[in-house]
Amino acid sequence: MDTKWNNTDKDPGEALERFVAEEVREAAAAGKGVKVLRPGGRVKALVGFLAFFLGMTLALSALGALGNRIAWERDPSPRWEWDWQETDAFRGEVSHYLREFLTIGAGGAVDFYDGVYYWDGGYNGAVVEQEAIRTWWGFGEVAEATTVDQGTLEPVFPAEPEKEPEKEPDAAYQTDKNVLYYIQSGEGKERKIYTNTDPTKDEQGRLMARSLREYNFYLQFKDGKVSIRKGLQDLDVYGSGIYDGDSKWFVPGYDNFPVSEDLKGVTVYMAVRQTPERYYGVDYKNGGTYYNSAFYSLARQVEESESFYKTQGLLLFIAMWCLVVWCLLRKSVEPVNRKIASWTVHVWTEARFLLVTACLLWALLPGLLNLDLVYELLYSYSYGWEDGYSFAAWGMAVVRLVTMNVPALIALFWLWRLLRNDHQQNPREARRSLLRTLFRSLRASELKRPVEKRLARSGGLVLLALLTYFALSLFPMAVLVNFVRVHPGIWGWCLLLLACLLEALLVWALYSAWRSRGLAKDIAALADQVEAVRAGDLERPLRLPEDADLRQTAESLNDIQAGMKAALAEQTRSERMKVELVSNVSHDLKTPLTSILSYAELLRQEDLPPAAADYAKIIDQKAQRLKTMVEDVFDISKAAADQLPVHLERLDLAKLLRQTLADLDGPIQKSGLTFKVELPGEPVMITADGRRLYRVFQNLIDNALRYALEGSRVYLKLKTAEGTAEASVRNTSRSELPEGVDFTARFVRGDSSRTDGGSGLGLSIASSFTEACGGAFRVETVADLFTAVVTFPTEQEGQEA
Amino acid sequence: MNECILVVDDDPEIVNAIAITLEREGYPVRRAYDGLQAVDECLDPAVKLILIDVMMPRLDGLSALLRIREKRNLPVIVLSAKSEDTDKILGLSMGADDYVTKPYNPQELIARVRSQLRRYTSLGDVHAEGRQGLLVNGRLSYDPAGRILRADGDEVKLTPTESKIVDLLFHHPGQIFPAEEIYRRVWNEDAFSCENTVMVHIRRIREKIELNPKEPDYIKVVWGIGYKMEQHG
Repeated sequence: MDTKWNNTDKDPGEALERFVAEEVREAAAAGKGVKVLRPGGRVKALVGFLAFFLGMTLALSALGALGNRIAWERDPSPRWEWDWQETDAFRGEVSHYLREFLTIGAGGAVDFYDGVYYWDGGYNGAVVEQEAIRTWWGFGEVAEATTVDQGTLEPVFPAEPEKEPEKEPDAAYQTDKNVLYYIQSGEGKERKIYTNTDPTKDEQGRLMARSLREYNFYLQFKDGKVSIRKGLQDLDVYGSGIYDGDSKWFVPGYDNFPVSEDLKGVTVYMAVRQTPERYYGVDYKNGGTYYNSAFYSLARQVEESESFYKTQGLLLFIAMWCLVVWCLLRKSVEPVNRKIASWTVHVWTEARFLLVTACLLWALLPGLLNLDLVYELLYSYSYGWEDGYSFAAWGMAVVRLVTMNVPALIALFWLWRLLRNDHQQNPREARRSLLRTLFRSLRASELKRPVEKRLARSGGLVLLALLTYFALSLFPMAVLVNFVRVHPGIWGWCLLLLACLLEALLVWALYSAWRSRGLAKDIAALADQVEAVRAGDLERPLRLPEDADLRQTAESLNDIQAGMKAALAEQTRSERMKVELVSNVSHDLKTPLTSILSYAELLRQEDLPPAAADYAKIIDQKAQRLKTMVEDVFDISKAAADQLPVHLERLDLAKLLRQTLADLDGPIQKSGLTFKVELPGEPVMITADGRRLYRVFQNLIDNALRYALEGSRVYLKLKTAEGTAEASVRNTSRSELPEGVDFTARFVRGDSSRTDGGSGLGLSIASSFTEACGGAFRVETVADLFTAVVTFPTEQEGQEA
Repeated sequence: MNECILVVDDDPEIVNAIAITLEREGYPVRRAYDGLQAVDECLDPAVKLILIDVMMPRLDGLSALLRIREKRNLPVIVLSAKSEDTDKILGLSMGADDYVTKPYNPQELIARVRSQLRRYTSLGDVHAEGRQGLLVNGRLSYDPAGRILRADGDEVKLTPTESKIVDLLFHHPGQIFPAEEIYRRVWNEDAFSCENTVMVHIRRIREKIELNPKEPDYIKVVWGIGYKMEQHG
């Protein structure tokens, strides 16, 4: 043991380094959970958090917008086609135009297809129904659904039709230059030409030429066949030649959709402008505003659609990269989450609930308020599904409802994240709730009332409720009895029996409730008794009547009381015996010691040979040391048995230290050590036993004088902070200090050889005396640096009385 | 002719050791080994002082003390291994004139014996007369007019500063004076870190008046508060 810490070739710097490392580790352990941010960690955390915020917000808004748009079906299909002339809507409109032109060319309504088709040419946006195909076009509605700028339409009031002008059949189409047409019918003299271009020219050639330039779409109906050219390319119109659900063009000329006889001589050329312009026309004949900008609207819609999808795609792309950044910095975001949690913890639970409710309402209210609209669209979606509202239709309806308010959706998402973060980071107890606070305060005030009052009140309530039930139950009973009397029958009797049973149960419950009033009294007595025992009454047992429900419990309590009494007596006896033993041992040691010391003294006074005189001197010295030890052991045993008498009084710790230093001035001056004393000028008032505390510091200074390195400095400091006074004595040890040794344990010393004249009890006495006075004592050793610290709570100035 | 001293202890070796010490100082010694013997022995008028142990067979020291007090008026020094304050107070309140704890210091014991004898013999007159203005405190007496301090009747030589401190403390027995207060009153200056200075003077006074300067009976430190003069009967 000795050699372990006595080898001197250890590098002191190393020990110090180890110490510092240890301190840092301890500090880190003390602040558990608080991550030490490396430089740049703060920036990383912020960037990561912002990336997550931005990414999720963008992704949600883009996905919401996309879902909303797809669910509400605002785009002319196909969706990913950005050429408006490739849409079904365009083809339908072209088909419609062709039908109109053919009608004009034929000079009246024609059977498009063996009477299965019919149309109503009276208004724009013709509806064609066919059982087998089930196609439903509605341009007008589509145009309304999107927010395409239609320009401001001046309301045009129908002018007074003074005289019905004779009009060409194609009058409605003539001024719209988005579609150029040339209709020819009949031969020779019968030949008729309707066109909105110059009729004198060879229109076919011109239209062809135009179709290459501004007008890129060219359709020709000749000899009962339709051919279409777009730009420089001829399109395949008829496909397999059979018209079915997959056919693109609804035009005559299929094998199963032949041209009627009336149209055999009709030839139609038409060209559609690549970029339609806005066009308005007025039809006075029908007595209202009339416009036909279907192509223009369609082109604009497709254009808008393209920009919409591309924008959302770009947003999604950005969001994805943001989320990638967040994923990389994920670990470092934690401090930000903690910070946010530290703010959100103050929000009351009710406020959270309200916020969530408000957000949910905000998100879903538009959908709920327009349920008929949703229902309608749901219906339109399910149209075409065999089983009515299919799963997909329901899903689509849900998507519609959910995407109705995308900002609310985003807000809801972040609210959820905030709450989740809060629940993860903050302990349950930290959360605050108005209701809970209210409930607790109510409960606390309720608990202040004596237990019998509380029981009596709740028992009374139960009794009252049961009585009320009983009284109320009499009425249906009477009705039942009357019913059975009037209509006797087995079921009636059964019912009556059941009712009687229930009534009996009620009466029994009433009786129990009445009886429990006595129980409440017993519980009150028991509670009082428990309180009395707690307060120290070990004499009077609780006597309950023989038939009381709590008789057994009361007996158990009495047993506990008796047991406690016996244990306390035993403990008192053993404490007293312990102190008596120590006192006797001390006395029995002192008596022979007195003789030894007396005779050693007498011996020293004799005229002895030098060697004998030396022996006598040694006997005297050792006997003196034994005397000190006996006294110390006596003190320490009393302190350990909590029997050390202390006279606590208010005293000035700084003054006590000054007095101690002055008292020990002689030995200090002799020691050759330098005392560096740092005491506050103002009084440091504590409550302690001055004599015991003097002994503490006497021992500490004595210790320093005995064990400090020759010529080194001893530091005595007194500091006050936060209601505590801390006095420390620090010195550099002469010999190396062993590690892991409790210096306040008895008979422990820095130098284990035990030849230094100390009893080995100094620090132990200092420790137990400090604690007996209500202070705290500790020893810190770092390498050869020895520090003893005495801590006391300081008296507040205001407490002076 | 010195006064005869009765030494009572159940341990004959201790009695013997004390006897030798006292005889070397010229005091004739009588010996007793329990309380009853002590009561018998003290009837001899030659006995002028009793040194008595507490824990003894047959009759313990304090009971014996009570019986002795019924018969004789002479100084009694209790010699006990019980060192606690309560034991000391008990001993003194039962009529002991002094209380010495075992293991005792022979020099101190002799000093205490001598002091008690002097107070009971030569000083008896002084006490009886109760000279005007004389402040008496146990074995000390102080004459404020002449600023003369006597211990066991012998005048104690004091420096002017020491004399001022003694004057202050004697006028206010039992009152606690912080070092600053003493300094201000004695040196007539405001004090700043005067603890050492005051302590040095007090230590010197103690060496002159106390029987055991390390465990003073009169000028005591009240730790953390100040200094005071303990009043003795």
